[in-house]
Amino acid sequence: MNAIGLSTFIRREIERFLRTYIQSILSPWVSAILYIVVFGFIVGSRISLIDGVKYIDFVLPGIVMLNLITASFSQTSFSLYFQRFARHIEEVLIAPFSFFEMIFGYVVGGVARGLVVGIGVYVIALFFTTATIVHFGLFLFYAVSVSIIFSLLGLLVGLWADNFEQLSILNTFIIMPLTFLGGVFNSVKMLPAKAQFFVRLNPFFYFVDGLRYSMIGIQEANQWIGFIIIFGLIFGFGGLVWYLFKIGWRLRT
Amino acid sequence: MYALDISHFTKRYGKEIAVDDISFSVKPGEFFGFLGPNGAGKTTTINCITGISTVSQGTIKVFDIDVTRNYRDARKRIGLSAQEFNVDIWATTYKILWYVAGYFGMPKKQRNARIEEMLHIFELTEYRNKSFRELSGGLKRRVMLARAMIHNPDLFILDEPTAGVDIELRHELWHYLKLLNKQGKTIILTSHYLEEVEQLCNRIAFISKGKIVAIGDKSEFMSNGQTLEQKYLEITKKKI
Repeated sequence: MNAIGLSTFIRREIERFLRTYIQSILSPWVSAILYIVVFGFIVGSRISLIDGVKYIDFVLPGIVMLNLITASFSQTSFSLYFQRFARHIEEVLIAPFSFFEMIFGYVVGGVARGLVVGIGVYVIALFFTTATIVHFGLFLFYAVSVSIIFSLLGLLVGLWADNFEQLSILNTFIIMPLTFLGGVFNSVKMLPAKAQFFVRLNPFFYFVDGLRYSMIGIQEANQWIGFIIIFGLIFGFGGLVWYLFKIGWRLRT
Repeated sequence: MYALDISHFTKRYGKEIAVDDISFSVKPGEFFGFLGPNGAGKTTTINCITGISTVSQGTIKVFDIDVTRNYRDARKRIGLSAQEFNVDIWATTYKILWYVAGYFGMPKKQRNARIEEMLHIFELTEYRNKSFRELSGGLKRRVMLARAMIHNPDLFILDEPTAGVDIELRHELWHYLKLLNKQGKTIILTSHYLEEVEQLCNRIAFISKGKIVAIGDKSEFMSNGQTLEQKYLEITKKKI
């Protein structure tokens, strides 16, 4: 194993998003403050308690998850795409890295950005809400595992995209809608029965619900189905990314 | 054992054949010129040696190490200065070298010393904290060369290393490359400056339309008062 190489690779990925901290870190934090103010105080003050908690406390885990997903996805998709675009991916391709090490390096970068942004949102929220973390181990599990899923998905998009527009397609048309419809701003019980059925088919519902359970102890989804979805997606996306790196799809000519 | 041993190597892009069943070898310590017109297959061959491209058919070995099967060990022995600036333009000179030395497994202490050495050799010390995009063409080329040499490889592949470089630096680079070669490093050079090849190389291969059309000692190509340029045009079927 190329341990020094891998640690350098990871450091570079982290330094890359720290270099652009206004866009990569401050911007989602500012958005999160706006969400908290609007949904927590302006809208939330007119909504009664949900399962005994204030609306802002109910919504906060969804806001954390939304930012975590977007940050980890953006990190890997943009990093890989830009390296391909500017051709300095060649620095990595000619170095003594295995496919696994390359993927691991990108994913750790994605998880790191996801955690910095996601946990940062939580820390900011502490100034506005009373939300705590009830199950810290589960909080960490959901934060890291969902970041891994979206870092891997980001790599797939980073490989596939041929231009900057394509890079944002998945985020705009799939990730954001599914996250918003996955119970970020509402309890599934608020929906009609038919809509509840469709929400339960949405994997994002299990991510949001799992994180919500770890933070405020309220659970609406079957946790075990959530675990199966999470591990299924990690292994599914991981296997696909590994295969595409192995054959050099859009990496090696 | 050869520094580079290419055997029946073919590279295809779909149905198009870019390099067609070529075989040649380079001995350790040689300064080898790899010449041919644009699109002849030089860069494609180099990309397959270094791992930027995949080999369609045949084998490529570097110091007896197969570049496909045992790519990790093979890549540690190779340093590449690519034709195009394949660099993170936002990174500083120092960071570019720091990252790449790390990729090749160089510990921090040794890495810092090596970077200082490279900055000194290529007179980049005062530009260490400048981002790549802020540098002039010549300085960028120096960074590319320093990056290729940062991990002290045994085989240097220099794909048009002096393109866009001023005459003074070109001569300094020649001096440094000769010194490296004297120290036992094997160097493969592609260049459109034939006087550069005349100055530096011991042996030369000509590639045209994906095939090796001539290979031999430099003296063989420059007999009967012929210049390398005349021979080049003759071999690549062009008229003076």
